[in-house]
Amino acid sequence: MVAATLRRAGAYREARVTTRLALGALALLALLLAVSLVSLTMGPVKIPLSHVGSVVLSWLGLDASEATKTEQLVVEQLRMPRIIAGALVGAALGASGAVMQGLFRNPMADPGIIGVSSGGAVGAVLAIAFGVHSAFYLALPTFAFLGALGAAFLVYGIALAGGRFSMATLLLAGIAVSSFLGAIVSTVLVVVPRNDALREILFWLAGGLDGRTWEHVRIALPMILGGMVLMLAYARDLNLLMMGDDEARSLGVRVGVARPVIITAAALATGTAVAVAGIISFVGLVVPHILRLIFGPDNRILVPLSALGGAVFVVLADTLARTIIQPAEFRVGILTSLVGAPFFIFLLLRNKRHAESL
Amino acid sequence: MKHIARALMPIFLLLVLLLSACDDGYSTTPAPSSPAATQPPATAAAANPFASVPAIVNPSNLGWPREVKSSNGSTVTIKAKPERIITLSVGHDEITLALVPANRLVAVSSSTKNAAFSNVADLVKGAATIGREPEVILAQRPDVMFSSSLLAATLVDAVSKAGIAVVQTELKNDHQDRINQILLAGYIYGEEKRATDFAREVDQRFTAVQAIVKNKAVSARQRVGSYTLFSDKLYTAGKNSTEGSIIENAGGANVAAEAGLERNPTINYEAVITMRPDIIIIAQPPDGAEPFRKSLLANAVISDVPAVKSGKVYLVDPLLFTTLSHYNVRGVEELAKILWPSDFAGKEFPPFSKPAQ
Repeated sequence: MVAATLRRAGAYREARVTTRLALGALALLALLLAVSLVSLTMGPVKIPLSHVGSVVLSWLGLDASEATKTEQLVVEQLRMPRIIAGALVGAALGASGAVMQGLFRNPMADPGIIGVSSGGAVGAVLAIAFGVHSAFYLALPTFAFLGALGAAFLVYGIALAGGRFSMATLLLAGIAVSSFLGAIVSTVLVVVPRNDALREILFWLAGGLDGRTWEHVRIALPMILGGMVLMLAYARDLNLLMMGDDEARSLGVRVGVARPVIITAAALATGTAVAVAGIISFVGLVVPHILRLIFGPDNRILVPLSALGGAVFVVLADTLARTIIQPAEFRVGILTSLVGAPFFIFLLLRNKRHAESL
Repeated sequence: MKHIARALMPIFLLLVLLLSACDDGYSTTPAPSSPAATQPPATAAAANPFASVPAIVNPSNLGWPREVKSSNGSTVTIKAKPERIITLSVGHDEITLALVPANRLVAVSSSTKNAAFSNVADLVKGAATIGREPEVILAQRPDVMFSSSLLAATLVDAVSKAGIAVVQTELKNDHQDRINQILLAGYIYGEEKRATDFAREVDQRFTAVQAIVKNKAVSARQRVGSYTLFSDKLYTAGKNSTEGSIIENAGGANVAAEAGLERNPTINYEAVITMRPDIIIIAQPPDGAEPFRKSLLANAVISDVPAVKSGKVYLVDPLLFTTLSHYNVRGVEELAKILWPSDFAGKEFPPFSKPAQ
């Protein structure tokens, strides 16, 4: 009798999770689609909505030839890869942010906490300072990616030193390594003799998606999707890890496997995002936080929805970045902080007032 | 009759006042009460070229000490002819080395020594390389610092307190300012004759190009876009940029300025499509310039842009198009040759004259 009741309660909980995930995912997917379509219609070249639609249809293999050749190229070769790259970057940062907040049991954690952002910055800054970035097309993303992953593994290695993993050491090592890498970036900024290199470095540090092509999408897609699949696969384990290692172990989680896999997946996704777009701050912090307020802390819901929410946020921010002062470009990383931070503060204050009134 | 005249006098005076208030500043009738206005400015400048330089306090004082106004608002006294000079600005170094022997410029920044950014890199090989630390600057024992208005106030304060004359100026894109900077530097360095001769040389070369291009019909002017690519960021040169002013002075129409862009913003290729330049110039160091030119010509997205369609994508010497100095006049000459090939056919522009070493 009791076992049957427990089974029914479990099934009910599972059904609720599935329903909330489906509803949230549908809403965010619809929003992402709407934002992407609006973004496709915006830019210095004025393209009628019907022509944009016909390009999208022809890209999907459906016959439509209303648009001119230039319009087709602008939509297909400039706007579409940029929007998709933005969505991937946002998804990576959103999902990784949710995972890091869960892993550290701290809503203030973000993907940069394990040194990925500062590692990516060192890689990119060195590539620019030594002129390697102009040697070949993907030199800059490659260096940034190697820097990001290198830093993440260094931080994880320190936390694992002596054969015993410690979350506190991971957090402190992340802070120390980030600070050290930040000093390297500052050193390069001080000693680099070229003004154009300085300008490049500052632009990269401000994050941006200008000039992103299908090549960037092709490279980023498997890495970010791979990272996200792993994060989603371990979302249940992450829920249990949030209760503490011993509880997680007693409920069947292989803590020694789950945690490194989760951290590696987040590092892979964030490192790729940093490589593609530079440092876009606040997405990994603010998006999971907002979604947690709406959908609750269950990582099986929060991680995928944070990915979708992050994608919406970055595509929206990039659309603003390339249109608010067009034909000039603004930096996405600056915009995400300018828009995200006040909105985040507003939510925090509203939430606080709401809690006090209860 | 007298009464009528008296009654009309206030109305007449009012009319005179109103007309003088509406004066556009280009009136050919000088105001009789202003002695300065009775002498045409050109004549005054011919008599004493330093009279046209606003920063010189007393242009007729060619002895020592002499005073100049710094861009930070202070009046700086130069006690004696400076033998040891520092500027810490590539543009100011280029102007300085057009006026004084290289050994008087005792130290430079690493940018001035870098041939990718400086027209005078070969002249400063022997100079010390310094940064912007007051102690390092003081160690060079300069007599004067003629530098950029962007220099930090703390640095200016520290160096000034050590008794060194620090004159800051803002280098601008317009030709008159270019001439004024040369004359001001010559006045500060006690090289009045060389500065006057060199300012005249630069002015004559600029005026020679203007004599040809200024008369061209607006409809005949080619629409020029200046683009550079650093890593994956595309930059253009709008209004108030060095390249933009060179385009205008060479008789071209700057498409980025027409699009409402200021200075050197980043853009995307869609913006190039909307700007539709007839000619594209690339003013960036050679390692990235040629690959960028090839990528522009091969880029299907902008294949309908007139400059790309006709293959009119030119590499120009970035040293003449970016740093603000008299070398921008060389940029104007070189671009005018591209824009008006028949007018400048066979024309070779020699290097600028140099001071006696």
